[in-house]
Amino acid sequence: MQFEPGSIDAAFYDRLREHYTEEEIVELGAFIGFNVGYHTFFRTLDFYPMFSPDGVLVSQEESRRIYGDTPGSHLRSEVQDALAETPHEAAN
Amino acid sequence: MTLIDPVDRSLAEQQGLASRLDSFTGLGDESATFIRILARAPGYAEALWDAMAEALFEGNVDHSLKEIIRIQLANKAEDPYFSSLRSKLALDSGLTEERIAAGQGDFLNDPQFTDAEKWALDYAYRMYRTPETVDAAFYDRGKELWSEAQIMEIGGLIAIHYGLQTFMRTLQQ
Repeated sequence: MQFEPGSIDAAFYDRLREHYTEEEIVELGAFIGFNVGYHTFFRTLDFYPMFSPDGVLVSQEESRRIYGDTPGSHLRSEVQDALAETPHEAAN
Repeated sequence: MTLIDPVDRSLAEQQGLASRLDSFTGLGDESATFIRILARAPGYAEALWDAMAEALFEGNVDHSLKEIIRIQLANKAEDPYFSSLRSKLALDSGLTEERIAAGQGDFLNDPQFTDAEKWALDYAYRMYRTPETVDAAFYDRGKELWSEAQIMEIGGLIAIHYGLQTFMRTLQQ
């Protein structure tokens, strides 16, 4: 939806219907659209998580130091850490 | 014709959406197609349309400017449905197709727009084309022209309308 909306055509929706009800498809579509809209906006505001990974309240400056220049990177980092620590469990 | 059929109006009304169906006609779609599609997912039509309507019709930024921004974003999303809709309130307030078209073009060099309007139009223009250019310097310039509350109002309008227009675009062939 964000990168190739033109590819979401009737055939794509037919495929979705094999897995989801129309209610669920509308729920997914609205959820995705909402997030496409808002997270791009949030990115421009340059804000960072209020808490460190261990749950301590930190300043925006400290948070930027912890999480790096890309605010979403801490999520990827946590996933990568989890995969590194328990590759077999994560893979399963 | 959309790829997800809207629910019947009577069913939408049974879901308690009568007031939302009525308010949506303020954008010129008497059938309120978008609301009736969202009504497929209980609770979504109320939450999302209420937020979209609040962003578009309420607040402390001129509604006609927000309507130009909404249409600019619908064009960016390549959404023929929302691109074709027009706010009756804005039209009644004197918004013209010429001014709407100007808001899609070389608005930065168009003397009919104030510096504050140019910044807001540019904010919307950049948001989904070059978001990396919406940086501290860009916001500093915005703060010379708008209050922070107004900037958040414009940003929120941009985010929710573009997001849902992007979804609506995929529902049309």
